[in-house]
Amino acid sequence: MATKFVSQRNIRFLLYEVMQAQRLADWPRFSEYDQESFDMMLDTAHRLSSEVLFPALRELDLEPPRFEDGKVLVRPMVRQFLSQAGEGGWVGATFAYEQGGLQLPVMINTACNFMFCAANYSATAYLGLITGATRLILTFGSEELQETYVPAMLEGRWQGTMALTEPQAGSSLADVAVSAEPTDEGHYLISGQKIFISAGDHDGADNVVHLMLARIKGAPAGVKGISLFVVPKLRPEGGELVSNDLATAGLFHKMGYRGCPIVQLSMGENNDCRGWLVGEPHRGLACMFQMMNEARISVGKAACAVASTAYYASLQYSQERLQGRPLGAKDPAQPQVPLIRHADIKRMLLMQRAVVEGSLSLILQAAWYADLHSHGPEEGREEAFLLLDLLTPVVKSYPSEMGVIATSAAVQILGGYGYTDEFPVEQLYRDMRIHPIHEGTTGIQGMDLLGRKAKMHQGRALKLFVQEVGRDIAAAEGVEALAPQAQRLTVAMGLLRQATEAKMALAAEGELENFLSDATLYLELFGLVAIAWQWLKQGLAAASALEGEPSQAEQDFYNGKLATMRYFFAYELPKAHGLAQRLGEDDGLTVAVQAEHFAD
Amino acid sequence: MNIVVCIKQVPDTESVIKIAGDGKSIDTGDIKWVMNPYDEFGVEEALRIVKDQGGEVTVVGAGPARVVEALRTALAMGADKAVHIQDDDLYGADPIAVAKMLAKAIEPLSPDVVFFGQRAVDDDSGVVSSAVAEYLGMPQLSVITKLEIADGKVKGTRPIEGQTVVLEASLPAVISAQKGLNEPRYASLPGIMKAKKKPLETKTPADLGAERSDFIEIATLNPPPDRAPGKTVEGETAQELAANLAKLLKEEAKVI
Ligand SMILES: Cc1cc2nc3c(=O)[nH]c(=O)nc-3n(C[C@H](O)[C@H](O)[C@H](O)COP(=O)(O)OP(=O)(O)OC[C@H]3O[C@@H](n4cnc5c(N)ncnc54)[C@H](O)[C@@H]3O)c2cc1C
Ligand SMILES: Cc1cc2nc3c(=O)[nH]c(=O)nc-3n(C[C@H](O)[C@H](O)[C@H](O)COP(=O)(O)OP(=O)(O)OC[C@H]3O[C@@H](n4cnc5c(N)ncnc54)[C@H](O)[C@@H]3O)c2cc1C
Repeated sequence: MATKFVSQRNIRFLLYEVMQAQRLADWPRFSEYDQESFDMMLDTAHRLSSEVLFPALRELDLEPPRFEDGKVLVRPMVRQFLSQAGEGGWVGATFAYEQGGLQLPVMINTACNFMFCAANYSATAYLGLITGATRLILTFGSEELQETYVPAMLEGRWQGTMALTEPQAGSSLADVAVSAEPTDEGHYLISGQKIFISAGDHDGADNVVHLMLARIKGAPAGVKGISLFVVPKLRPEGGELVSNDLATAGLFHKMGYRGCPIVQLSMGENNDCRGWLVGEPHRGLACMFQMMNEARISVGKAACAVASTAYYASLQYSQERLQGRPLGAKDPAQPQVPLIRHADIKRMLLMQRAVVEGSLSLILQAAWYADLHSHGPEEGREEAFLLLDLLTPVVKSYPSEMGVIATSAAVQILGGYGYTDEFPVEQLYRDMRIHPIHEGTTGIQGMDLLGRKAKMHQGRALKLFVQEVGRDIAAAEGVEALAPQAQRLTVAMGLLRQATEAKMALAAEGELENFLSDATLYLELFGLVAIAWQWLKQGLAAASALEGEPSQAEQDFYNGKLATMRYFFAYELPKAHGLAQRLGEDDGLTVAVQAEHFAD
Repeated sequence: MNIVVCIKQVPDTESVIKIAGDGKSIDTGDIKWVMNPYDEFGVEEALRIVKDQGGEVTVVGAGPARVVEALRTALAMGADKAVHIQDDDLYGADPIAVAKMLAKAIEPLSPDVVFFGQRAVDDDSGVVSSAVAEYLGMPQLSVITKLEIADGKVKGTRPIEGQTVVLEASLPAVISAQKGLNEPRYASLPGIMKAKKKPLETKTPADLGAERSDFIEIATLNPPPDRAPGKTVEGETAQELAANLAKLLKEEAKVI
């Protein structure tokens, strides 16, 4: 059975050789860190991943949560892991010291959490949700809310959630209808239904703290009338936890990611579900969105992680499975060769590796911007924020969409065996499929990128991106082994510019439907360019390392990097031409097609 | 309770081990190094004892500069301080030579208990703990899966073929830990941050007044033989398959 799910060598390559994470320790916020402490954290994360999480990967799939007598029952490992995560300091690792955190750079925490996700995405989701909810309370909550909820959450004893979705309000959060009625006692009375709430109820935690969007009675319609509340399952009262009139109405059975429940919640059936306002009234979505960037990057990371696990499973299989002979060797008396000797198999391995390592690089790049924005030198902060904001939809969507294709290739390499549950890849393929959906579907991300991000501040973010990429292209042009790729990326950047101009022209003409009808394709084009950029950066680091005299194993590693980079530029990036062609056309084909045309 | 835990740094079992050109040592170039897993049981047990009974845990390791990483891991788990005997040639040396150095470093610490792992997963020699006990003039309880310390006495349990033997000695004593003694904790993130500030003393063999005395040397290291290809048992019916399997097990594998 497969044992490897991430490459520790690659993680260190990306952190130290490509991103120069060592630089983080120069900033006051991270002054207590150095590379040795980063390494110890990465080692510890890897151990937890391989000894606690990975062995339970299949168990959580085969024995999903059950709903019995109004309770959601999960595997005992969930409680065990959350308590280990609490004790280990993982819940609040990136928080400030005074908030009970360790001021760990987002970049290092992202690398650690990537390993957790690769080992077991379902189990890690519980942890991620506690962290996100705790951060919201710490950022926007009153002192009282912080004192009441944060300690137990940091210890991993209380689950946190993000409760946005309702039956009629999925992508369209403007339609959130759960209501909040003010009282004289400082709290609100909450009533309504939430749906699909991850980790929304389970017996692996002693309480569940929902960070819930609701509408204060009389608030304006639309997104400007939505507020954020803490709504606990059990509320502390007189030193005890009492029921808060929040019932679990049901549990959904999912295609994958089956270890973590998504529940339907019913609030206020007895008119006694209390919620406490977080931040200003009617500003709930703004608060939530501050976290949403983080959550969206987390989805990209999780998608990349699942693809990593599938890649290593298929790689190992391709080295062991004997099937077929080299094309020239037709002697049936000769033994068969391992699959990895066939070019088509190597193509599928390279594709997976290009997606996994290209995505991880972009995710760490985003983490770098996050650290830079919050704690870097003053002069770079604003630009870092704009770049992070621009890239967030790409960081979320490229790994999610391409992860589906990459895990499918892993199944393909295993042939018929891949389609059975004797091997883990079929689970990983199912686990992957959530990522283009939750935290904003790919369609919504496309509209966010083209409709908002590309235009914001008169296109300033986009200009900064062009500059960032341009710098690395210039560096690569001077390296013989990278010059052809630098050239191709220059062309692709040109295609992106033309596509942006064509779309912006439509926007200027007020053709809103037409402007955004192919936003998903624009997102795809942007993803190709961004990942190509990351591969060029990796190429630069690998080429420079090969100039030293690395050991044979290290040479293999760097040459593998260069081969995967060349693969990306030869097989993936050319897709930009097809996308650009369509994006340059303004016939509004899909807008024009009528619902009636699908009649039969 | 003053406790010393000896720690050896060994290749991670996931590392690919290659025999070096001299045929007597391993190629250490691309190896990832970790704390010997059996030593983790010792660290964990020591931490539990001082939590209950008070005291201090000192970890001691010998070898090249990289050994500091393993010592820091123990500090991150919760040990109080560390002593590193720095000597580049000590990795792969005669276990007796290593034991002598360790004993010299441990003696001035006047421990009540000295923990070792029951063996190191790299060379499997299992000699060092006993030799240190001899040099220090302490009793040794070896391959221990359960331990009690009270009233200046130590009681340890060793499993033997499904039975157990319970050993008792007065303190100070040397204990070598076996899997099952406890469930070692993971280093916590706060622990890792604290570890950097804990005292770590580096000593050379000369500082310790220890002389190398190697009685044995490694003659050759041989890689494991290539795995023989598997064999498919032939047969039309279940009975025939079973009979052929039994025949193979008896005549070829010679296991029945
Ligand atoms: C496993 C899982 C976990 C989840 N966890 C949580 C959670 O913890 N908290 C939470 O609040 N929610 C959670 N959700 C809900 C999730 O965020 C929503 O499912 C998602 O936002 C999509 O909403 P929807 O399902 O209502 O689909 P819809 O909004 O109905 O979308 C269906 C399709 O229509 C497209 N579409 C929708 N509107 C438009 C438009 N205006 N223009 C063009 N295309 C459009 C979408 O892109 C999508 O392809 C979870 C869902 C799942 C499946
Ligand atoms: C649900 C299901 C139903 C099935 N039903 C039947 C049935 O009714 N009857 C029956 O006889 N079989 C059946 N099969 C078997 C099926 O036809 C085989 O699984 C399929 O032919 C692939 O063979 P394999 O699984 O041994 O994969 P492999 O041959 O090991 O292939 C694995 C991967 O390697 C690639 N590959 C293999 N050889 C080469 C080469 N020389 N060059 C390049 N790439 C190569 C393949 O394209 C594939 O991607 C079924 C399988 C499944 C999963």
